[in-house]
This record gives sequence, C-alpha cells and structure tokens, in this order.
Amino acid sequence: MPNRISIRIDGELVQAERGQTIFEAAQSNNKFIPGLCQFKGLSTVGACRLCVVEVQGVNRLLPSCTTPAQDGMAVITKSARLNDYRRQSLELLFAEKNHVCAVCVSNNHCELQAYAQRLGVTNVRYAYRYPKLHVDMSHPRFVIDHNRCVLCTRCVRVCNEVEGAYVWGVAGRGIGSRIACEMDRAWGNSASCTNCGKCVQVCPTGALAEKGFAAEEMVKRQDLVERLATIRGTMNPGGPR
Amino acid sequence: MTFAPSLPAHLSREDQEFLDQLISEQQDRPGMLLTVLERIQERQPEKYLPAPMLDYLARRTGIPESRIYNVVTFYALFNLKPQGRHTVCICRGTACHTRGSMRLLESVRLQLGLREDEDEGSADKLTATTPDGAVTVRTVACFGQCALAPVAEVDHHVLGHVNERALQREVEQLIR
Amino acid sequence: MSHRISDLSSFNAAHAAGLRKLMPGVPRIAIGMGTCGMGNGAEAVYHAFADHIHNLGLGFHLTRTGCFGFCAEEPLVNVLLPGQPLVVLRRIQASDVPALLDHLAAGRIPAELALCKIEEWDHITATIKYAAGQPEIPHWYDVPFFTGQKKIVLRNCGIISPIEIEEYIAVGGYQALYKVLIDSSPEAVIEQLKAAKLRGRGGAGYQTGLKWEMLRKAQAERKFLISNADEGDPGAYMNRNEIEGDPHSMLEGMIIAGYVTGSTEGILYVRAEYPLAVHRLQHAMDQARDYGLLGKNILGRGFNFDISLVEGAGAFVCGEETALIRSLEGRAGRPTPRPPYPAEKGLWGYPTNINNVETWYNVAPIVVKGAAWFTETGSPKSPGTKVFSLVGKVQNTGLVEMPLGTPLKTFVYDIGGGATHGKAVKAVQTGGPSGGTIPQEMFDTPVDYETLAQLGSIMGSGGMVVMDEDNCMVDVARYFVEFTHSESCGKCTPCRAGLDQALRILNRFTHGVATDGDLDTLDELSRMIRDMSLCGLGQSAPNPVLTSMRHFRREFEDHVRAHRCRAGVCEDLALSPCENSCPLHMNIPRFLQLLKEDRLEEAFLSVVLDNPLPASTGRVCQHPCDNRCRRSAIDDAVNMREVHRFIADSIYGTPRYEPLIEQVLARKLPPTGCKIAIVGAGPAGLSCAYYCALLGHDVTVYENNAEAGGMLRYALPNYRLPIEVIEHELELIRRLGVSFIFNTTVGRDISLNELDAAHDAVFLSIGTWKESWVYLAGTELRGVLHALPFLEAVNKDETTQLGRKVAVIGGGNAAIDSARTALRLGADVTIVYRRERKDMPAIREETEAAEAEGARIVFLAAPHRIVDDGSGGIQAIECVKTTLGEFDRSGRRRPVPTDEILRIACDTVILAVGETVDLDFVKASGLRLKEGGTMLEVDRHTLLTSRPNFYAGGDLITGASNVSNAMGWGKKAARTIDQALMDEFRWPRIWPEFKHSMTVPAHPSTARRHHNRELDPAKRAATFAETTFPLAPVEAMEETCRCLRCDIRADH
Repeated sequence: MPNRISIRIDGELVQAERGQTIFEAAQSNNKFIPGLCQFKGLSTVGACRLCVVEVQGVNRLLPSCTTPAQDGMAVITKSARLNDYRRQSLELLFAEKNHVCAVCVSNNHCELQAYAQRLGVTNVRYAYRYPKLHVDMSHPRFVIDHNRCVLCTRCVRVCNEVEGAYVWGVAGRGIGSRIACEMDRAWGNSASCTNCGKCVQVCPTGALAEKGFAAEEMVKRQDLVERLATIRGTMNPGGPR
Repeated sequence: MTFAPSLPAHLSREDQEFLDQLISEQQDRPGMLLTVLERIQERQPEKYLPAPMLDYLARRTGIPESRIYNVVTFYALFNLKPQGRHTVCICRGTACHTRGSMRLLESVRLQLGLREDEDEGSADKLTATTPDGAVTVRTVACFGQCALAPVAEVDHHVLGHVNERALQREVEQLIR
Repeated sequence: MSHRISDLSSFNAAHAAGLRKLMPGVPRIAIGMGTCGMGNGAEAVYHAFADHIHNLGLGFHLTRTGCFGFCAEEPLVNVLLPGQPLVVLRRIQASDVPALLDHLAAGRIPAELALCKIEEWDHITATIKYAAGQPEIPHWYDVPFFTGQKKIVLRNCGIISPIEIEEYIAVGGYQALYKVLIDSSPEAVIEQLKAAKLRGRGGAGYQTGLKWEMLRKAQAERKFLISNADEGDPGAYMNRNEIEGDPHSMLEGMIIAGYVTGSTEGILYVRAEYPLAVHRLQHAMDQARDYGLLGKNILGRGFNFDISLVEGAGAFVCGEETALIRSLEGRAGRPTPRPPYPAEKGLWGYPTNINNVETWYNVAPIVVKGAAWFTETGSPKSPGTKVFSLVGKVQNTGLVEMPLGTPLKTFVYDIGGGATHGKAVKAVQTGGPSGGTIPQEMFDTPVDYETLAQLGSIMGSGGMVVMDEDNCMVDVARYFVEFTHSESCGKCTPCRAGLDQALRILNRFTHGVATDGDLDTLDELSRMIRDMSLCGLGQSAPNPVLTSMRHFRREFEDHVRAHRCRAGVCEDLALSPCENSCPLHMNIPRFLQLLKEDRLEEAFLSVVLDNPLPASTGRVCQHPCDNRCRRSAIDDAVNMREVHRFIADSIYGTPRYEPLIEQVLARKLPPTGCKIAIVGAGPAGLSCAYYCALLGHDVTVYENNAEAGGMLRYALPNYRLPIEVIEHELELIRRLGVSFIFNTTVGRDISLNELDAAHDAVFLSIGTWKESWVYLAGTELRGVLHALPFLEAVNKDETTQLGRKVAVIGGGNAAIDSARTALRLGADVTIVYRRERKDMPAIREETEAAEAEGARIVFLAAPHRIVDDGSGGIQAIECVKTTLGEFDRSGRRRPVPTDEILRIACDTVILAVGETVDLDFVKASGLRLKEGGTMLEVDRHTLLTSRPNFYAGGDLITGASNVSNAMGWGKKAARTIDQALMDEFRWPRIWPEFKHSMTVPAHPSTARRHHNRELDPAKRAATFAETTFPLAPVEAMEETCRCLRCDIRADH
C-alpha cells in the first residue's frame, strides 16, 4: 500500500501521508486551518471546533483534527459558512470569559487573539458574561488565570501524556467547567506538580503564564514541548488517551 | 506517583476497611469508580463524599486525584458537601414543567427561605440546604413519573399530581 | 435445589411450573407495581390484599406485575378467577380491598371497577388463552386507550410477574435463546435481524443487524455488549417500565447478542434515579444465573456470557455512546470524537456494541416469529413498533406501543382522548431536549424516524409531551435549552458557551426585554451550535429552539413587540395570571386589594380607568380570568367579575358617583387637537373612544343605529344587561367629550375618504350583524327567525313572529339568549346543538340557567330540514342524530351523521349559527382582507390596516367574538393610535398612583367562592327584569380576601 495519498484542499490537489488527519495534511501543505485545542504530539480532542471543514459527499461539518485524510477526499477549508461559524465560535470564547488583551501578558503572542484578527472578528454579538474567576498565584514560578482560559485542555493533556504527573483535570461541567489542580488544591500546594512548566508553554492564551512578566511580555516556547511530545508520541504510537 | 505525605485526617479504621473491601471487590470492573463513589456516598448519613475518603481512594487505587475530582464534580449525583437530613426533590421533567413544576420549586424555596445563590447561567446543580442542615431542596431532570406530573419526592416518597398547598404541608411536617 | 436448565425436559419443567403460577387454579391477584403504580398507592393496595387474604384464610395467589401502561388509571390490579377471563381493575385503593375480596371469594368481579378484560393474550413468543366471559366488561382492545396498540415490546408488561423467571419461561421466554443456541447459526440470526430492518430504538435509528455484524467481524480478545438504560430524556420513561415489568426480555436479547457477536461480557448502564429497575434487574440476573441461562456454560452448550450492572450517576450526556463508555472507564462522561467508532475501539479500546433497552426487547420476537412477521407491522423503512410515553395535557396518559408510521393525531386524540379541561391542544413535543415541537396543524404527520426529522424534530427515545394553549412555546424552548445547558459536558465551545448564550437570549424573551435583533441572533447561533458541536447532545440541542421559531414565530414576536405571553407563563410579561388573561388587561389584584382595604371609591376609579363599561362587563363577560386564577388550585377561582360588578353597582346611581366622575374627568390629558373618527358605537368603538378622549383627542363616533351600545344594547337581552346599566356607563363617555353621530352608515352616508380627510386617524369597529348563510331546506318559511334580529326586536319592544313552540339551532351565547328570551315570551323552547355539551361555546352558567328555566337541549343533532305545514308556516324541524367522529382542527370531535332522524314539532325556528361582518363597504374601499375574505387584515401589533391612518379592531378582524374581547381591541387601538399620532408613549399617564398593601396575605380567607344569587328559575322565566343579583358587601369583601396576590413577586 503506498504511503502517499492525494487529497484536494480547496480545489488544489496535494499529497499527504496515509494516517495523517486532514488538519495535519493541510498543515504540511501550508494550508491554513485554525485550531485552538490541537497540539502537535498530544492526543486530539476535537473540542474547540475551529478546525471544522466541509468534505465533499458528507453532509455534516467534520473536525479536521480528528478526521483521517483519505485518498481522493475533497476538502473545503474556507467558505462563507465556515468563516461565519468560526467567527461565532471565537466570539463565544471572548464573551465567555474576561479576555482583556491590553493588560494580558500574552498580548500579541496569543493564539486566540491571532485567530480573531485573522478571521476578522471585529465585534462580539453576544452579551459578555463577565464571570468572576480566580487567579491562582500560589505557585512559586507560575500563575493560572481562569479569566483567560479557553478550556482547550492542552495543559491537561501535556501533563498527563508527556510529563505523566496528572496535576490538571477539568472540574465541573457545562458552562461551569474549569481547569482544576488535583482535588481542587491551590497549585502551590500540589503534591504531584514537577514544576516542569510544560502546561505554561502549551497554553494558547495568557491563562497559564510564568510569573514576573508584564503585559505583552510572555512568549511561549511551544516548539520545545512540541518536539518532546512528538518524540514521545512516536515512541508510544497511538498515544495515551 | 507522589501524594500528600501526611496521612489523611478523620479516616476511621472502619471507613478504611470498608474502602479496602469495596475497592478489591470492584477492581477492574467496568464502571468501578462510579460504583465505588456511589457506595461511599450512600454509606454516609449526610449523603456526601468526605474528602479524606477520596484522598484514601486515590492513594489506594492509584487513580490520579485530578481524575477523581473530575468525576465527582461532573456527575449530578455526587455531593461534596453534607446534605440535609430531609430531601425535597422537585422533578423538572418536561411533563412536570408544562404542569407548573417551576412554581412548586419556587414555593418550596420561599417556604424554607432558600435562595438560588449561584450566578445566572451557572451549570451547577440547583441544590440548596437550609442553614440548620434540616432540609435539602434539589431538582431532578426527570423521575420518569411523567404520567403523575407534576411530581415531587419528599424523603424518597413520591407525591404525584402535587400542588403548592400539598407540598407546603409536606414540608411543614418535615421542619416541625 | 438447582434449577439449571440443560436440556429440553428441564426447560419444559420450568415452563410448566410457570404456567401453574400464571393460572394457578385459585384466584390470582396481581398488583401493578411499577414505579408509577407505587406513586399512586399500589404498595398500600398490595399490603391490604396480603393482610386480608391472610386474615380471611383465603388461598389466593397474590403477586405483583409491572405496569400495564395506562398510568392515568393506576393502580391497576389484575384478577384471574378460575374459569373466567383475566380482568384488569383500575384505580383500586387500599380501602376498596375488603369489599373487593368478598366479591372475589364469591366468584364475582365487580364490573364497575373493571377497566377491561383479556380472554386471550398474545405474548408473541406464546399465546395464553384465558376463559371467555364477563360480557359487561369491555375487551382490552376496545378501550380507546388500547385500540390500535400492538404490544411487541410490552408483550409481557403488566401480565407476568417480573420477579418470577418461570412465568417468563411460561409465556415463551428464553425459547429464542434456546433456539439460537441449539439450531441457528450466528450468521442466520444476523441475517434475520437485517431482513427485519430492526432499527435502534434509542433515537438515531441505525440498523441493529449491521451493528451486530460489525462486532461479530471485529477481531479482539474481548468484546463488550452494552445496554443503554441511561434514560435521561425528561418526559420519557418507557425504558424504566420495560425493565420494571419484564427484565428477562432484555437479558434474553443481550445473551442472544452475546452468542451471535462472540462477546462474553455484557454491561447494563442504568440510571441511578431508577432504583426499582436496578433492583428488578439484579434479581432477574440472579435468577437467570440460577437457571443456567446466564454465566458459564449457558444451557449446557459451553457458551459463556455474563452481565454486570453499573448505575449511572446523573449525567444526561452519558446517553451518548462515547460518553457512556468514558463513564464506564471511570472518567467524566465527556464524549470523544468518532472515528474511532465504538465498534472498532470502544470500552478500554475493545470493540463494543451499544443498544438501547427497547431494541433488545425486539430480538426474541424476531428470532421466534421471523423477519417477515416483523415487517408486517410499521412502515416499510421503519418496521415494528415503538413505545411512547404519552404525557402532558391529554386525558389519558401512559405508555403506548404503536406501529411506526402511526399519525400523531391518533396518539393525541384517539388514544390520549384529547385535551383536558376543555382547552385546545397546541402542539406535541417529541424527542425531548433533542427533538422539537410539532404544531397542531401538522398532526397528520406519521411518526417515524424520517418524517419527524423533516419537521426538525426527532423520535428520540419516544417521549411525547402534549402542550395546550396554557403552554408558552418560548418558555418550552427556553426550558429545553436550560436543560441541555445544564447537562452540557462543557468540552466543545459551541455547546458549552453557545447554549449559555442561547439561554441568555431566551431569558431575555421570557423577561420581555428581547429585541427584534435577538430573534436573528438566536437563529444564527442555533444553526451554528447544531452544525459545529462535537456530539449528539450539542448537535440536537438547538432543535427545540429552531422548531419553535419555525412553527410558533408569532409567539416569539409577541414577546418582543407586544410584551405579551398569551399563555400567561412568562410572569415578567404579566402583572398576574388574571390580568394576563383579561382582554382589557385590567389590574385585577389592585381593585381587589383596594376594596379589601375598604377604599371603595379608589377601587371604582381603578376599575373604571381600566374598563369603561365595568357594570356591563361585570354581568356579561366570559371571565377568562376564572380559568387562570391560581386560587383554583386550592378550591375555586376568586369571583373577580362579580367583584367588579359589585364595585360598579355600588357607585352608579349613588351620591358617590358625581365626585368620582369628576376625578375621572380630571385624568383627561390636555387637548391635543387631533381628530379621531370611530366607526361603530359597540363595545370596541366605545372603549377606543373613551381612551382617546382621556388622552386628550377630539373624538367623533359614527353609528348607524339611533343609540350607542351596539350589541350591548341591541343583542343582549334585558334580563342579562338592563338598559339602565348601559345608560350609566354611556354618560361617563359622553361627559368626557366624545360626540356621537347616529343614524349614519359609513360607506353610504359618509365615505371613508371623507372620514380620512376630516380626521387624523380612523378606527373601524363594526360588529357582526350579518347572519351566516345556512344550507337548510325550509329557511324561507314563515316562522324562521335569525337570532340577532330577533333579540334586537325584543329589546326595541317591536313585535316578533314568535310562536308557541320554538326550536333554537346553535350552541353559542346568541342561541342561549334567544332561547331564554323566547321562554320569557311564553314559548316552549328546544335547543338543538350538533355537538356535545362540553363543546358549547356559550357561557356555561347561561346554559344551565336556560335549562333551569325550562329549555330542553338536544345534543348531537344536526338540523336537516324545516318541515312545511302546507301553508307557508312551520310544522316541525327534522334533525339527523349524529355520533362523535374524529377530532377536527378545533380539537373537538366532529359530529358524524347517522341514519336516525329526529323530528321536533315546532312553529318557530330561531337560527343562531353564527354571524359575520358585513364587509361590503370595506371591499368597496379597497382595504385589504385576510385570506378567506371574511375579515380585515391588520398589523397584529399596531392594528393598522392596509390604509394609512385607518385602524381596525373587534369582530372586524377576529370574526364574531364577545364584549370583553371587543373592548380589549378598542383599548389597544387607542394606545397605538395615540402613540402614532403623538410619537410618544403617553399611555401610563392616564392612571394616578394607587397606593395599597403589597404584601402577600399570610392567611388568605378559607371561604369558598361566592356565587351571586338568582331568582328562582320559575319566577325568572316570567320576567325580563334582571334576576341575578350582585354579591352582598360581605361576600364581595370575602372574595377580595380569597385573592392570593400573584402580582407580588418574591424579588420585588
């Protein structure tokens, strides 16, 4: 069986490797698909839904991060409907928590902000919820600010799948979901945290940051974690769930 | 895996034996964690999951604390706080809703002086306990008693076709 | 002693033992003890039977069964006397037991307690024949609730005992398993299921045979079978009853599947809220193991399969298969993306098959009877039956098993028996929070997977909740979103944050603060959530919103534009339920409270500013407030109509009147200089004129009669509304400065163009004075009268052609008024009505009064012809007796003619079969009519017609209605006309501030409702004077003390 397959992305015929997801195939061909929860080397969860695409012959929209690319598949990554839906998703995230870019350590280095700019989110049609959320500063080196969390769960996965420390989990459900440390401890009191900082580096927004940075100063080193996660992923094919 | 060094407080020998037996009985069975948690809660007179028992459960089974916390906060059945001695449970199923169960809920809350203090739109379960720990008012998605709508349950006794008056009388009996 | 079944003889022994229990040769009494029966007191009934049987030393066989389905008639008790049919008794209470046992001991079954009898029962896997007999008790299939039902899934429910495995075996249970293990190949069973086209009963409708085939082909060391009994749909409880009534059928289905798919482990995932189901299942599994039907070496054939039971912990989303699997793995039930599908990678990564409870129940019947038998029932694409829980606003609630493809109206009307309390059914909600609402106009829809999906709903697990006019569809949509919002797992953005925003928007609707833009935002958002969400919960959560917006858009618009919730559910849009139901939106709690505080003058001011004709409406209003009063949940509604009559009557004609009139006149706003013309001086025109005058406009009323009052003066008989009362009320309107131009017909004496030129706004409010055309032979005869001209002539003291024996045709208020008037003129009166008493549109009290005064009413008779006496007069009227047929659009049963002719001798026939508006002048003027051409088209919110500055209200836009509705339209028109002319909302300025107590009465009066006194019927029938008297002051006061003050809210 040949390992190369051909798929069509937005009309253009491109090559991909068998076993790649649509998202990976698009990325390796420099085609842009937005995605907040996807992270190279970590398991996929299909949670943010920004990466949905249209596939010819399929009625539903499919998340490209979990759908395997198949030979001969015709994928549409941009359309008026997709654009509108992605914009609505981003607006929902902005309205859900308190994303105040100007005072955020990740300003100008934030994936959420970058997608919003790229997809043309100029206003939010929904009512801001302004929830009162906790900022946990108890850890000596890091801080978690729930006001900026988009619940992508990259931190949970990197901690479980790469570091193996199982510090983070998602507590509650629905709109009340939040990232919680162990049995809802203050991060600084965690018994299992190894202080490795991987969760901070993979966080797409300013929700997890290193202490001591001012607005705009926090630049994440995703490449390091990505490399580590990918090595682990190849050593342990299929990856932990 | 490392855990909190100090032994969890307030875990009696009896509780520990109970947990040990329960865990070995349920080990590797499907739905093990749910079943164990359900049994623990059922055993408490105040129908909740005491933190020391959860700590012990994590250490004994190796299930990460974060996962246990995940589970206990996800399912509506589990309580992390002690519940009242009596329970009034109002069904919020569709049939009950169309026959006015919201009004029943409001009237019971009013009667017991409980207010819904969660934020608007919070997905937390609508449970509230009187400050003296006498009565917990909760809702259930559906009792599956739709033909008797509206339905309320007072201390696990089902009241069908209940109205505000009848429910008030039942609650009066409880707090007397 | 081991019960292990390992060969045919041990199987037959169990079968025989079961039959002995089912038909024991002594009386067998089985109590329906599903959760629903227990909720109705079945447990007490069981204990009463046990005690009495023991005390009396009767050798009866007492046992328990599951639910027979007719939940509205619970507790049900099955009685089998030797040599008699099986009889189902209904609504048995513990107190009935001693007398009942006496009868049974004597070999008698009291027929009055019986619901139905069963002479033969088809258990599908076997047929049980009972004796014939008990002719006075109907067969089960002749009881409307059961007619048309086909019990395949529920074949054993309510008949056998769920705790006796031998009874299950006796009715053919485990026969299918035996057959599969001994004779069939696994492939043959899969082929059979595929040929039967059995589709998953959990809602998605995927073919079961294909799923099993996938699992069979999967190569893995472990394979899992899961039964999904996490029935979380609010409004659906069929799975619970199936398990409680017949747990073995599910186990048998799973064991067969285990053999067929090569799996050895089964898991039951049951809702923790169903303790009885869990208990029954555990017991059934123990028994099955004991009999060698579950566990190791099943039936001695070397096949191993065991089942474990897991209780869910309260998460609706766990009904989704990937979430359910995560839950079994000890995680939070958050769905994971598919692929991979559970058939490839399920529980702990092993191939897994999940079926809904009900699907398993169809397995044994298909194995025993074959695929061809199964496809005979249902529709070609969806064979078989489905169990529905029919609940909500229908008479008969319960579990109903119907062939797929049965139209919705069969469920609602034939089986459900239609609406309760004479209300109109509005919609049916299917599929719970993932489904949608289907409006009454679409009740012809066959219920199957595809058709419901086309309407934007789904079949789901089979919940069917009937809604009536008291249910607000915006609230229903909000309710479901609130539910899915709180059950969302929170993983994906559209469902988590999207449903939260959708709920916020819907809350704005129900709180009355939504805007037009919210409708569009909600629509966009709902589509996005549907298309973008990760799992079925999110994808289907917008269905209730999208279908409600599609089918009930008007209700959404009313919430936004008119700030009204017609159903009266959204409390923020109404002061109180009574105010909301009042066509004039009178502040009823206010005048009750003012009177209660002994402030009669202020109470009068409050009443008269809310309603310019309080004494008239106090007598003739249809009082919709009574139906909404929350006091009626305790005893009876507060008699609000009579209180405001009392207030008005206490002021009119007394010295208090004059100063109060001055106070009303003082409320008049400064002159605006705007001229308003009002066409028609009936209730609608008068109320519009009154408010326009109060708002400072210059008002002229054009009327073609010689005096004002319209129907009030000319159509309502004096004994109901004396002319002096109308005069009192007109005086106030005149003194406000309204001028009247009588004897002037618009369209003839003055044209609409002329009106337009001379006024800033015109309000059209002519009544329904034109008789509807009736197709009836003999209407040309002397002695045929039309109701309204007849009543008008009597009111004007003109002579009529009334004879001695009068037949009145019709069932509305005009018919009753004509009948009572004719009685007073000394005639002998018969009213002929084609439907039943409860369908009569007339005010109930009026009908009862007419009967008390001697009128005879013949129901279910349609006039056929009026018989000529040979000289141009009438000899008799011939009517065709009717029976009740199908339900029509109005939710009433359609009268169907029979062959029986009824002849009523009479010399006069009064036709009161409806009136319409004379639209001739409207047609000539070019105003647009509604479809059908009998009513004028207006904007529902502004009452503006198709011509600028022309407004219309009352009968002209609704068809014949009643006084209060007409006045409501007039009041509304005054408000919108004023706003349009003055470009400002000045309406609230009319009312002064009334200060009164705003605390909820701690001890509302326990007195019962006071009714007004009436003269003795015999005396009444002899006079045109008013014969119903106002409440006595102490009675009126007590009524005010009965009010619960729903206008006071906890958060105020």
